[in-house]
Amino acid sequence: MTARSAARVPGALAAPAVVFLAVFAAYPLVYVIGLALTDSTLARPLQRWTGFDNFRTALESQSFTGSLWRSALFAVLAAAVQLVLGTALALLLRARAARPGLLGTLLLLPLVTPPVMVGVAWKLLLAPVGGALNGVLHALGLPGVNPLGSGTGAFTTLIVIDSWQWTPFVMLLVYAALLGVPDELREAAALDGADRSRTLRSIVLPYIEPTLLSVLLLKLVIGFKVFDIVYVVTAGGPGFSTTTSTYDIQRTALQEFDVGGAAAATVLFSLLIGLVTSLVAIRRKRYEEVAV
Amino acid sequence: MTTLEAVREETAAEPVTKRPPRRSARSHRRTGLTALLSVIALLMAVPLLYVASLSVRSRDDVLNGGLLPSHLFWRNWPDTFRAVEVGHYIVNSWTVAAGSVVLTLLIAVPGAYFTARAGRRGGRLATLVLSSYCAPPVVAVLPLFYLLRNLELNNTVTGLALVDGLANVPVAIWLLDGFVRKVPKEIEEAAWLDGLGPWASLRRVVLPLIAPGVAAAALICFFLSYNEFLFALSFAQDSSAQTLPVLLSLFQGDKNVEFGQQAVVSLIGIAPVYVLAVAAQRRLVAGLSSGALK
Repeated sequence: MTARSAARVPGALAAPAVVFLAVFAAYPLVYVIGLALTDSTLARPLQRWTGFDNFRTALESQSFTGSLWRSALFAVLAAAVQLVLGTALALLLRARAARPGLLGTLLLLPLVTPPVMVGVAWKLLLAPVGGALNGVLHALGLPGVNPLGSGTGAFTTLIVIDSWQWTPFVMLLVYAALLGVPDELREAAALDGADRSRTLRSIVLPYIEPTLLSVLLLKLVIGFKVFDIVYVVTAGGPGFSTTTSTYDIQRTALQEFDVGGAAAATVLFSLLIGLVTSLVAIRRKRYEEVAV
Repeated sequence: MTTLEAVREETAAEPVTKRPPRRSARSHRRTGLTALLSVIALLMAVPLLYVASLSVRSRDDVLNGGLLPSHLFWRNWPDTFRAVEVGHYIVNSWTVAAGSVVLTLLIAVPGAYFTARAGRRGGRLATLVLSSYCAPPVVAVLPLFYLLRNLELNNTVTGLALVDGLANVPVAIWLLDGFVRKVPKEIEEAAWLDGLGPWASLRRVVLPLIAPGVAAAALICFFLSYNEFLFALSFAQDSSAQTLPVLLSLFQGDKNVEFGQQAVVSLIGIAPVYVLAVAAQRRLVAGLSSGALK
């Protein structure tokens, strides 16, 4: 659109979105910083200025400092696993047809399943007694397992569950990007003697790399938000081995009622997310500059 | 001649007789891929198929192990409805989701028109809205908890719909922006020349053209609110506003062995989402991918 017609778009159209930003972004940010620097209870917020005391509490909390690391590890591992599996599925789906069809929709269903229900389904599946996994193992004469019994097992299980839910999302976005790869490029590569895997590596994947980076960024952001399956499947345990920051903060605020500590933890957690996502965003920005 | 033209000529020059065997090789490959992807889809369905199987098994039948019911035990269904007021939670879930979609669209439709059409100003709004999406929702939990309490909307369906409606605005703007950009500017500029103001042209020219996008955004935001758990858990602390995910979460923890009832509640929660997703599959796919292809 020309600069003149762009100037005709009235600012009033943006007003509802600006109100949204004020209520849902600016106010919470300012308020949470206020809560972090003061003494509060759930009944009475902002009682008394306490400086950085709450930050000290948060950083000394055994569950919180570890949770930052676990959240980052979870976001990175889940995004990596899902990017690889999702891209593989998208390539298969694209090689099959130029329309996702009913099969594509069926593969997409995990994405729209309520995460709490996802967690419960997996928890029932993996239950040491009465679960399907051990049922199958016993039927095969093998000893039963309890993946949720150990720290590493529980953490890995959460990544598996999260990937079950989110791989279809990556699949769909990558599939859409694959539809944009011109057939001529593939055919030209084939004529130059490139086999299928060479074409994939040298033509297709580089072509969709901007999409892959966008999806990676999006998945990192989403991965940091993980809460539902932690709450339902492991409740942060065993020990603190699956206590992610969102889970720890929600529990500190609304079950232990330590409002100041939770607010300080929120501020620190947001800083970590900002750091990780801006690293990927900078890399992605370079593509946009080249493209323009 | 460019390489691409050369390619086209080569393909065009190919003798027609070569085609039938190639096509059959291709259709073999396609059948193989369909089979492979179907197996993957079936494997992915295992957790849910197991839940479906649990919903018709008695407690003893579950503890004996095995994947399938030894006999169909339908009593779990009436038992669940007797144990908890499932209907009440269903109504809450649907009201919150539907109400939130209305709020989201009221904000996001004009917002997306602005981000797509207002040049630099639009770009600035888009950046702000998208960065707000990067912040984890847990940031908003405490501030909104106090805000809702001051408005006396704690533990109410209205309060939860408001919060979910706001939370989904970035997603909706992100999706709709792509649809608005696809509307040819010339159509709109012609409408302006005909004397329609920007508001009227948004309502009468652009809105009908992006209706499929609005439907897709509404569908996706409905799912997001219907599935939402963190806010529902934090702001609905008694049953008056609790949604189905919260109800199901209440079953957890205390060494609960009512596998059958958990399965029933899960299926009740999942079924409508799946029906909607399959019924509106084109919209859903088009909506989700429009965001990606920018």
